[in-house]
Amino acid sequence: MSKIMTVDILSSIKGAKPSESVNKLFDVIKNANNNTASVNYNNVVSLDDLREDVVIESSLTEKEIIKENFPKEKDGFLVVAKVVEG
Amino acid sequence: MNKEISCIELVQGKIDLLKQNTHNTVNSLLEEIALGLAKKVDLKIANGEEIGLLEGIPFGIKDVYMLQGTYTTASSDLLKNYKSSYTATAIQKLLDAGAIPLVKENCDSFGHGSSSENTIFGAVKNAVNSDLVGGGSSGGSAVNVAKDYTVFSIGGDTGGSIRQPAGYNKVYGLKPTYGRISRYGLMAYASSTDCVGPITKSIEDIRIVLNIMSGKDVKDQTTYNSDVISEDLHSATKTVGYFKNFIESEAISSEIKEEFLATIEKIKAKGIAVKELDFFNSDILVSTYYTLAMAETASNLSRLDGTNYGARIEGKNLKDTYSITRSEKFSEETKRRIVGGNQVLSQGFSDEIYLKAQDLRNQISARFSEDFNEVDIILSPVTPANPPKIGESLNDPLAMYLSDAYTVGFSLGELPTLTIPKGTNTGLQITADKKKDAEVLQFANFLNDIL
Repeated sequence: MSKIMTVDILSSIKGAKPSESVNKLFDVIKNANNNTASVNYNNVVSLDDLREDVVIESSLTEKEIIKENFPKEKDGFLVVAKVVEG
Repeated sequence: MNKEISCIELVQGKIDLLKQNTHNTVNSLLEEIALGLAKKVDLKIANGEEIGLLEGIPFGIKDVYMLQGTYTTASSDLLKNYKSSYTATAIQKLLDAGAIPLVKENCDSFGHGSSSENTIFGAVKNAVNSDLVGGGSSGGSAVNVAKDYTVFSIGGDTGGSIRQPAGYNKVYGLKPTYGRISRYGLMAYASSTDCVGPITKSIEDIRIVLNIMSGKDVKDQTTYNSDVISEDLHSATKTVGYFKNFIESEAISSEIKEEFLATIEKIKAKGIAVKELDFFNSDILVSTYYTLAMAETASNLSRLDGTNYGARIEGKNLKDTYSITRSEKFSEETKRRIVGGNQVLSQGFSDEIYLKAQDLRNQISARFSEDFNEVDIILSPVTPANPPKIGESLNDPLAMYLSDAYTVGFSLGELPTLTIPKGTNTGLQITADKKKDAEVLQFANFLNDIL
């Protein structure tokens, strides 16, 4: 079953519609010649050089600022919208 | 002029200038931090202690970099009250070298713009003519350097956001090779082209600041180890190329075209071979860049939903809260780019647009590789025209996108490119092959002598 997701839903922006100016940019791509490049020239991360998979504890200051940035707090709890609706 | 002043006096003098905020360059002042650090520098000097290379030098930071405990707004309404919980690697390296942060600088919101008008802090005014835009997105940073409010500033360049404002305000601005400087702590716009870079009043300052910020960082897996660029900037460049179609384009102003061609003649007169190169048309470069940048920013900014940080406007349920918050708190330009990004990433369009743009990017990179087998340096104007008046760009987004015609290609190629305030009214771009940032500075040094 396919469900069509419109750009306003995909973007979580109410009433969002594609822009004419931006569509003109995309039209250029659609009409461009398609000569596939044989090599990927872009940066890739080497799997031999990954950082250590260890937990790094944040400082107390960092934790405090993260809590300070939280948009809503009540009685010492961080408030989020209800996710499961009954 | 030779005059001895204390670090406190130097920093206080700059802060007093910034407080007037005549050009809308200031999002927040870091007065307390700066004066505290300046006091320590004066004490170190008084005690005869060893001081760092940048000890006591006041600098500015585009308001997209984390500096622990300071507001980092990205010039957006959504993050108007957001405080950095940690410090970006590049900024930390400057602090470790003794530099003193003065100001978080105005810019286009999330880097979305080429004029620094897309901001909640008021349009940045050009340093040379305040009726004109400051350029963008690192407009506040370029203007602060041009007006001597900061000794150097750290901008961010995704598609030209350091090089274009540097050109518009007649200062130096470098986009290093992608990966030379860690992006950790830079708010992501388009991660595959985002670069950290310095804006200064001299090539020597670019070299010093670049050397300090460069290096591998485990927190950004795309970084690499680079050699220190030495003080001797003697240029060994033998062949220079330029893209013929950039100069023959209808979009370039006759003034910039004539100035650029006159510069080419001066270079030839010094015995350097100059080659005309064929390159992709500007509309392909701009469209490829914006397709990929919009796709990446749609993904990167999806985290901004009012749940964990930033502003939140409560709706009737979770999804409603997300969409009301984003609808109300993002600017029109940011929404346009997010929507564009989701368009090209959505089922049915990704093959036709996004994947094709990826493929075009590979072709562009391949062409650069071929070109650098023929020439050492590629020269280009920075912009096709002079800076627009404040208010003109916001009404015509397509014109704004197309004004990035000469900068975005080098971003897609991940190449090191420097704007110097010479050669045309909006400067010249000097580009070398990947990881050859030193050659860029060396050739810039040579051009400084002959232009």
